Amino acid sequence: MTNILVLREYLKGIYGKYEIYITPVEKFLLSFITLMLINRKLGYMSKLNGISVILIAGLLCSFLPMNFMILIAAAFILLHLYAFSMECAIVVLALFLVMFLLYFRFSSKDTVMVLLTPICCSLNIPFVMPLAAGLTSTPASAISVACGVAVYNVLAYISDSVAALNSMDTESAMQKYRYVVDGLMSNKGMLVMMAAFGVTVLVVYLIRRMSINHSWTIAIVAGMLTAISVLLVGDLMWEINISIFSTVIGAVISAAIAKLLQFFVFNVDYSRTEYVQFEDDEYYYYVKAVPKIAVAKPSKTVKKITTQKKDVAQPPRTTGSVVRKSNKSGMK
Amino acid sequence: MLNEERIKLMTRMASYEENEGRHNMAIGNYFRSDYISLQVMKSIISATLTFGIVLGIYVFYHFESVMKEVYQVDLLEMGRKLLLAYVIFTGIYTFICYLVYSYRYNRAKKSLKKYYAHLQELSELYEDDIRR
Repeated sequence: MTNILVLREYLKGIYGKYEIYITPVEKFLLSFITLMLINRKLGYMSKLNGISVILIAGLLCSFLPMNFMILIAAAFILLHLYAFSMECAIVVLALFLVMFLLYFRFSSKDTVMVLLTPICCSLNIPFVMPLAAGLTSTPASAISVACGVAVYNVLAYISDSVAALNSMDTESAMQKYRYVVDGLMSNKGMLVMMAAFGVTVLVVYLIRRMSINHSWTIAIVAGMLTAISVLLVGDLMWEINISIFSTVIGAVISAAIAKLLQFFVFNVDYSRTEYVQFEDDEYYYYVKAVPKIAVAKPSKTVKKITTQKKDVAQPPRTTGSVVRKSNKSGMK
Repeated sequence: MLNEERIKLMTRMASYEENEGRHNMAIGNYFRSDYISLQVMKSIISATLTFGIVLGIYVFYHFESVMKEVYQVDLLEMGRKLLLAYVIFTGIYTFICYLVYSYRYNRAKKSLKKYYAHLQELSELYEDDIRR
């Protein structure tokens, strides 16, 4: 355990030291993965499919604000859809505009969740986002995560309906448009998933804020069970045909990733919890103080030893160095 | 001479100014009523645009039947229904926005109050240094 904690301290140290370089690299990778996934899933506009376009867009995203990445991703989606079918592009543009106008206008920090949720969904670890949002953010993130689910499902639906849409006449624009709108409005699977994610965020948030020991771990497990239960109930009620096995496996992996996140964000030692009471003029305070687990990084000291020249007959002066490694790790 | 307490305070304040503080200071420049009414107006515009988009999608979806019935239905009655729907939708959305922005304004003011208290503390530390 101590070694893992030391590793964490090392990673934190490295991040702190090179944050100025690491953050753009992270942004670049995120935008690169996002655009690659969009191109793989849609990819109807051949001009956007080239790796050079993705690299240029990724480089732009790496030093511009996070919301620019959302803009680029939305532009990629709309251009691909426009190349495939104008009707699809109109419906998705309307969806994006409604999301922006109603919600992200006053919650711009949460936009990254709309980007990460579809990524996690396509990697078959969909519950990472509701768990992470519940652990680190506010209950309002439930809406962001639900919007992310909507985006993923809309794209998945269009991607799955390519054959059906292609079989329609090019002149029957109205028919295509209706097909897309019908598919989205009657997509029970999407609604169940949105509800499951939203409820999970709220459950995780409420439990992790409780003053109980291991609240974060309990919140992760409860969130995982909530998500699975809501999906199964939805499946029973509307027959949305979800695979129970892959849902459970995905939920377990998501919980493991959330636990890893907990390790970096919230790592406390409940065995040394202190309960204190005091008062001031207006209140009595019943305080529970839980110490954070912290270990010192092993420090290397380089000691230079130089032999002193005593007389001429002695051998020539030598210089050496000893690297002393002291491990000061231990609980603080 | 370096004063450790002062440096810590200044670092904390600089970090605040860089991150959360920047946003809060922009809010703090407004009077409460000015800030909230500006945001409410923006919300009304957003709600109107959203209503227009949803209505557009609906009309385009039922384009044929709308075109057929447009000369048969009571346009005044339909207009009244649409207006009612618009007022209800915009009203609910604006009310939620009002609550959110009121909360945000109060939170920003509270946070700025703390920041000004730190400024005061810093000024006192400087004065102490000069006296010495």
